[in-house]
Amino acid sequence: MIHIDVLLPRLFAEGATELQVQVTLESGGLTALVGPSGSGKTTLLRLLAGLETPRSGRITIDEAVWFDKKQGINLPPRQRAIGYVFQDTALFPNMTVRENITYAAPNDQLMFVNELIEGTGLEPFVDQKPGRLSGGQRQRVALARALVRRPQLLLLDEPFAALDTQSSQQLQQVLVKLHQRWQTTTLLVSHHDADVQALADRVIRLVEGHIQTDELIGDRPLNPLIQECITQIEYDENQQRWVVETTNSRVQSANPAWGQFKVGDRVQLAGITQGMKR
Amino acid sequence: MPIDWDPIWLTLRLAGITTLLLLLIGVPLAGWLALSRFRLKPVVEALISLPLVLPPSVVGFYLLLAFSPTSAFGAWLLQTVNLQLVFSFEGLVVASLLYSLPFMVHPIQAGLENLPASWREASYTLGQSPVRTLFRVLLPNCKPALLTGIVLTFAHTIGEFGLVLMIGGNLPGQTRVASIAIYDEVELLHFDTAHIYAALLLGLSFAILLLVYGINKRVTV
Repeated sequence: MIHIDVLLPRLFAEGATELQVQVTLESGGLTALVGPSGSGKTTLLRLLAGLETPRSGRITIDEAVWFDKKQGINLPPRQRAIGYVFQDTALFPNMTVRENITYAAPNDQLMFVNELIEGTGLEPFVDQKPGRLSGGQRQRVALARALVRRPQLLLLDEPFAALDTQSSQQLQQVLVKLHQRWQTTTLLVSHHDADVQALADRVIRLVEGHIQTDELIGDRPLNPLIQECITQIEYDENQQRWVVETTNSRVQSANPAWGQFKVGDRVQLAGITQGMKR
Repeated sequence: MPIDWDPIWLTLRLAGITTLLLLLIGVPLAGWLALSRFRLKPVVEALISLPLVLPPSVVGFYLLLAFSPTSAFGAWLLQTVNLQLVFSFEGLVVASLLYSLPFMVHPIQAGLENLPASWREASYTLGQSPVRTLFRVLLPNCKPALLTGIVLTFAHTIGEFGLVLMIGGNLPGQTRVASIAIYDEVELLHFDTAHIYAALLLGLSFAILLLVYGINKRVTV
């Protein structure tokens, strides 16, 4: 479980002056972070990675504290168990594909490296330099490299942005396969609804540095053991949807079953169409 | 008239040693300047750049005062390690290190700063230290900047005159480098000998620059 509570001063186009995000990510989930350009999505990833420092707040993952302003804790990026796929892939041009992937691999993980190379379909290119690869191939190398240290949190910054449809679908398949195999908690920034629908089990919309909506999609339960208390519930006539706020989440759903709940009820957020309890 | 080759060899020795030592000092220093967010960084940058704007005679004058056996530092060096930096080859090396420092540091620092920040950040998120990032990722990807730093330092040291004269004087075999020798020969109206030294420096400098531009073109294409 990853608890994020961060505040960072930032000037947004519409006048908001801070990025403030409080959210909990379930272990093993694949959460998509969507929103208009300049809404703070990449900044949030960078805060989690330790590449930027929040002014205040706390970031914890399971028992480990990565950032706590009050306690003066701020782990540098290299001490956080993260994998980060940058939008431009950030592959090292002086190294081959295999060297890029093994660069950070522990010495006893060569079998795992081979498994990753096989899982991402990179065997034919292992001895090539990144400059000779297509955009989709480069993203797969970046993904394999980010996973080589078996991170607790995988951060993907617009991995599909520069890819054509075919490459994008190939990368999605690889991502789904790797996610199913290792269940790495993943936060994916994407502009493409199709990618989000195909991959994510939860979608957080960030606008002007604040969470506007937080939806569970599909029937992929995140953590069926977690119950949350409803703090607000109302029906949005314009969108024909129930808007439900709990202690940790904000859910939008067209499911009429929400009509039987009221503030104070506890719900098990195991998917919108199933698993609700009174 | 027989040519005394000593000034040429001495010049090449001084330039070679200075370049090698500055490579060892300049690379970590440039890396630190490029990657650090240290608040007093501008002060360090200004100090390194001083030789670019100061007349060599000013630098030479203060180094002469500092290295002189009558100064506290000079006396301490003489007593503890039996090293006299005034009018000696060792003094020329130390002075050249200070005077050529910006020629090594600036190109490498600029080369490192021009690399995409995401390469450095990717290495950090992969659990690697800044030092390993510098030597495994950043430096191998700015070879032209490294080469420029090496060659500029070498060429600049070859051409030193005022500083060498202030610190080293004109001791044959010890501090009489080519630029001093040319001045000497002109003073003695030996224009033929001066011409040979000058032509050698001209040819050498041109060959070095040609080599740099040629290699840089191959590296960057």
